[in-house]
Amino acid sequence: MNIETKNLIKTYNDDAVLNLTRDYNHLFFESGKINGILGPNGSGKTTLMKIMAGLISKTSGDVLYDGHPGNNDTPLDITYSSHRPTLFSRSVYENIAYPLKIRKYPKDQIQRIVTELLNEFELSDIQDHNAKKLSGGESQKTALARALSFSPKVIFLDEPTANIDPKNIKLMETALLKRKQLHNLTVIIITHNLSQAFRICDNLTFLDQGVCLYSGPPQGLIESSNPIIHDFISFNTLSNTEFQLKS
Amino acid sequence: MNYIINGFVEAFRLLLSFDPEITQIVLLSLFVSFSSTLYATIIGVPFGILLGITNFRGKQIVSRFLYTFMSFPPVVIGLFTALFLARSGPFGQFKLMYTPTAMIIAQTILVTPVIMGIVFNNATNSGYEVVLTGKTLGAGKRDTLILLITELKGTIMIALVTGFGRAISEVGAVMIVGGNIRGFTRVMTTFIAMNNNMGQYSTAIAMGIILMTISFITNSILYKYIIGDTNEYRD
Repeated sequence: MNIETKNLIKTYNDDAVLNLTRDYNHLFFESGKINGILGPNGSGKTTLMKIMAGLISKTSGDVLYDGHPGNNDTPLDITYSSHRPTLFSRSVYENIAYPLKIRKYPKDQIQRIVTELLNEFELSDIQDHNAKKLSGGESQKTALARALSFSPKVIFLDEPTANIDPKNIKLMETALLKRKQLHNLTVIIITHNLSQAFRICDNLTFLDQGVCLYSGPPQGLIESSNPIIHDFISFNTLSNTEFQLKS
Repeated sequence: MNYIINGFVEAFRLLLSFDPEITQIVLLSLFVSFSSTLYATIIGVPFGILLGITNFRGKQIVSRFLYTFMSFPPVVIGLFTALFLARSGPFGQFKLMYTPTAMIIAQTILVTPVIMGIVFNNATNSGYEVVLTGKTLGAGKRDTLILLITELKGTIMIALVTGFGRAISEVGAVMIVGGNIRGFTRVMTTFIAMNNNMGQYSTAIAMGIILMTISFITNSILYKYIIGDTNEYRD
């Protein structure tokens, strides 16, 4: 599913926290791609993501899903997971099974899908644990497995790998890349990790103070002459080797 | 000092003798407090959840009023209930004054803000996140409601026990609207107050022990089976 925003504005108490009406007034998040959103804290990344996911309303402008306007609600084949996921007070297994149960999947199908996800995310050993008592990394993996369980067309991820060890970051990235290739999943991901952005993203969008300063292929971001982008990149620990590999 | 010790000795003797009057008082107390907690739960839980997960203008004012009502003195509630139920009051025709029904009404008014306030507070803090998460996973309105109730189960139970504790331990409201009539509206707290005034400490202590035992049992059940009987710290 392609997602587009046109002249999007979001204001709180007359302050525009997001104003995408200037240079990059039309953002395009391509179907079957991993689209990264970067920018300093308070730049409007989460606001943009929540508007696109139908979790908060926009003040003006349009959000289009495959060219069709949304109705300010979350479409059924779109999902969202934040870096502080809200897991339900039940077992890891039951958390992952939840979206399938409310969609009335047959029991044997639920069991098959959940078991596959538990194995893929290395959660089998803790499948009976109460999800409220998991560590940060386990919570993030459970939330991602739950979000992917019903094979959504689009997944919005707000810093899904923040504070997670490299092994689990790789595991989660592999899961996303696999679904992108096999199921044409569209991923829109907010990350502060520039290495990760260049490792997995096909397109990058850079926001600062609610304004989009760049949207396009990752290489273009590196070549940008914008001083804010330049500062952001220089503060990050992007390894040249990684960038060359990506290029 | 001796009269206190004698009081405890006499209290245990009275408890073990299964005095019919004491039994009747205990049962009436439980009936009145359970009934009022039930009605307060039916009113307070849905409204508490609704207020908690809905953003509207004036929410802060509503929450301030709610918290104020949570600490309303029982005698004041008893007084207002009596004014409405008295023979010359707006509901005088129903002849409810000095009946267990009047006591249930007064305690329901007392307990509803307590239950609603606790549920409201927790629904504000975590209910909204649960609703949003449900929405992103495809939950419809009915699914979301079921999800909210199951996720707030612990909170609802805490609210319920707190409300029951307030109901069974209060004396002012039931004294005013019930009148402490022997064999009809006399409950544990009014019985304790009356016996204390009469200098009959042993019966007052006996009833106090029963009251504390009931409180201990209800809390134990709650912690053991609903909240989880652990004080373990997890980092």
